[in-house]
Amino acid sequence: MFELFSYGPLGWGDEILAGLWVTLRLAVTTLPVGLLIGFAVAGLSLSHNRGLRALGVGYTTLMRGLPEILTLFIVYNGVGLLLNRAMAMLSPEAAPVEFSPFAAGVVALALVFAAFAAEVLRGAFLAVPEGQIMAGRAIGMTPRQIFWRIKLPQLWRFALPGMGNLWLNLLKDTALVSVIALDDLMRATKVAVGVTKQPFTFYLVACLIYWLLCLVSELGLSRLEQRANRGVRRA
Amino acid sequence: MALIDTLAQNWPKLIDGVGTTLALTGLGALIAAMAAPPLALLRAQGSALAQAPLRIYISFIRGTPILAQLFLVFYGSGQFRVELQSLGLWGFFRDPFNCAVLVFAINSCAYQTEILRGGIQAVAPGEIEAGRAIGMSRLTVLRRIVFPHAYRIAWPALGNEIILLMKASALASVVTVFDLMGRTRQIFSRSFDFSIYFWAAVLYLAMTISFVLLWRLAERRLSRHMTGQTPQGVQ
Amino acid sequence: MQPQPSQDVVLSAQNIHKSFGTHEVLKGISLDSRNHDVISILGSSGSGKSTFLRCLNFLEIPTSGQVSVHGEEIVVRNGRPGDPRQIERMRQRLGMVFQQFNLWTHRTVLENVMEGPVQVKRRPKAEARDQAEALLARVGLAERMHMYPAQLSGGQQQRVAIARALAMEPDAILFDEPTSALDPELVGEVLKVMQDLAAEGRTMIVVTHEMAFAREVSTEVVFLHQGRVAEQGTPDKLFNHPDSEAFARFISNIR
Repeated sequence: MFELFSYGPLGWGDEILAGLWVTLRLAVTTLPVGLLIGFAVAGLSLSHNRGLRALGVGYTTLMRGLPEILTLFIVYNGVGLLLNRAMAMLSPEAAPVEFSPFAAGVVALALVFAAFAAEVLRGAFLAVPEGQIMAGRAIGMTPRQIFWRIKLPQLWRFALPGMGNLWLNLLKDTALVSVIALDDLMRATKVAVGVTKQPFTFYLVACLIYWLLCLVSELGLSRLEQRANRGVRRA
Repeated sequence: MALIDTLAQNWPKLIDGVGTTLALTGLGALIAAMAAPPLALLRAQGSALAQAPLRIYISFIRGTPILAQLFLVFYGSGQFRVELQSLGLWGFFRDPFNCAVLVFAINSCAYQTEILRGGIQAVAPGEIEAGRAIGMSRLTVLRRIVFPHAYRIAWPALGNEIILLMKASALASVVTVFDLMGRTRQIFSRSFDFSIYFWAAVLYLAMTISFVLLWRLAERRLSRHMTGQTPQGVQ
Repeated sequence: MQPQPSQDVVLSAQNIHKSFGTHEVLKGISLDSRNHDVISILGSSGSGKSTFLRCLNFLEIPTSGQVSVHGEEIVVRNGRPGDPRQIERMRQRLGMVFQQFNLWTHRTVLENVMEGPVQVKRRPKAEARDQAEALLARVGLAERMHMYPAQLSGGQQQRVAIARALAMEPDAILFDEPTSALDPELVGEVLKVMQDLAAEGRTMIVVTHEMAFAREVSTEVVFLHQGRVAEQGTPDKLFNHPDSEAFARFISNIR
């Protein structure tokens, strides 16, 4: 049993760890990209311009209504197609390019993450008490100063619980990329299963690793939340 | 019109896929909904010892990708083929549709339990006391006061959970179930016609949006007595 | 009635109207505040007194009427500020203290007081800090300056809010029911600070329910009733010889 998960040519420990490394890299790369898009979409949905607002709301409704795996295939197949068409137009004799599964995973997961993050951020912006904004206006702050000095610094406190959940979802959603042949934890497990014919053992171990990742994340997040609320909540 | 052509050629398969998606989601959600109330009650009022296995189950389900759960059951069951055969269960586990429904039910049950627990704990203690004060039995209090309130409170969150389940049901395509996602992938792999993804997206959105509308309608009926309006709508 | 243009009129409001939808809350209110005036605005709830105060620094935009600060009229076009910069400049000269304190919960007491001078008036930090420390000492909160607002009582928070308003060195301070959100035993400490400010000659416009403050501290009392000025004058005149029946009824209900 332990041999199966040992390091080296006999065991599968090293392959699974390599897969875990891909999973983590994927999640950590997706996070900032998704946050950035999420901020942009939140900005759209909070805009005073009706057209921009509709664009933001439309984006979140669309992305939250589609299965993540569908988004992934649309990005993987669609962007690949577009990329090749664009390349063909630029230089007709170039060989067809392969859209890397990792990039496709980052883009698709970030697009999904952004839609949910935009909702969390929008809620957090609206959660900053109106009175504090009024106090800023009353001492003559400009809208820009109110944004940077009052709203933004409090944003993460209101957004953190929601963002924590999204991070856990992201970690779990990375498992999807195994279906587009990216060698993440899930796919490394599948390869091991194919050779050892011990599917239950290996998938259970994969599950336990994801579970551990989530438990560790939850621990870290609760620390962060404590810090964020330092001094704000009554003791 | 390439888009229309794609639809004209493939609509029977797509409709068939929609039926399978609805069956996966509906069965999974329904089975989960039957198991959730007693578990939620245990989670809300049970002793710490009785809660422990429940907490571990919920934490495990929430901490692992549903795709990994699906692989664990569908492929993992193969490791116990002999045992399952002797129990007469092998036929059940060999069918990916059955495995998918089972996994979705187990998965959704964990989420529904937590949502319902929140609802139970939000019921005003005074109303429960009032029930006891007029001599209601424990069971009557649960049936007439606690659960009606809990469901009304939990209703929107339960609706969200079912939408998430519908999106997750697309993962069944990975274990060769021909739901909407499975049909879409099948059509794409044969024709490389990218516009099939457009129709898949439209159908998923249509399902989500109709479900949201139906659920809201039900919510209005469920909380009719709570709006403070007389039947005629007179103030 | 022509308003007398005078050098020492700090804040002048002429014929202010304000409607929310079809509901007219203010039906033409005028008020001049001179240097060292302490004006108490009284009225039952719904009389429009808070709305009027908020119109003075344009947290509410009057539907019609003029507001001028030191003779400079605030421009309004089509129900919107004609020049946001002008309003921001004007607000720096008018402090405001809110019913709910509205301290910034993510900043310490000291940072709350320094925020305006540093960010809005672009004062050097060290200078703003000295000033903030002095102001906090004056309102009796020197030892609390590194705490966060949530760690203070309501009365202490309101005193910080007063220090925050003072830090802008305003020409006049608007108080919007500054003691209404406080537990009864905390009202005194805030009134004491306000009384000290009045004694040193600050120009104050105070919407309040505290009859004792209106009577003993203010130089002028304005009574609003149904969106109009129903009675106006010195405290002595109003409290001892009210002209209007509405005010007589109002004070008899308070007692």
